[in-house]
Amino acid sequence: MQATSSSATSSPRLRSPYLAIALAWLIPGSGHFLLGRRGRGAIIFATVLVTFTLGLLMRGPLFQPGGADLLSRLIQFGGFVGDVASGFFYFLAIWLGYSQPDVAGHTPDYGSKLLVAAGLFNILAIVDAYEIATKQKD
Amino acid sequence: MKINLDHFEVSVLFALFASIMLGLVTKRTDRERVRYGLYCFGCFVAALFGIGWVMHFLHG
Repeated sequence: MQATSSSATSSPRLRSPYLAIALAWLIPGSGHFLLGRRGRGAIIFATVLVTFTLGLLMRGPLFQPGGADLLSRLIQFGGFVGDVASGFFYFLAIWLGYSQPDVAGHTPDYGSKLLVAAGLFNILAIVDAYEIATKQKD
Repeated sequence: MKINLDHFEVSVLFALFASIMLGLVTKRTDRERVRYGLYCFGCFVAALFGIGWVMHFLHG
């Protein structure tokens, strides 16, 4: 814990916020690593990874843009954005051929929500990395 | 490999992960982060039980 605080104060040079954002999206926690917050970066990486992996193990379907009506399109698109926000984990799952049908049942339904939650956690981390990079916070 | 978790288990896990992230990104010192993360986790669990009892009485 103490090491995290000391590393935060020992990296005074300003990194590009856009590079931090792009890295933070592609590899969760890497934006914090780039900015010298290694402890926080490792915790973010582990949290997003465990959440995303739990979603996969519960066979949660990934959202795809589309839908018959406006509400369905909004839900599908929002879920798709949440899925893609996990960055590398999402693309790795797609590359490895992960695909689950959207079937009724509580387990895949919870899995789908955990997959989106992983992306939303990463969006929180991206915003945090941006604020650190622009010196709005330590 | 497939895992089956019930609603309560998934809710507690979500509360844990969300509390970790909220603690990490909102506070300035490590002590404040830990305290806020524990506070958020307590609120999530309290809401989980509270809403659970409300649903229990509404559904009969």
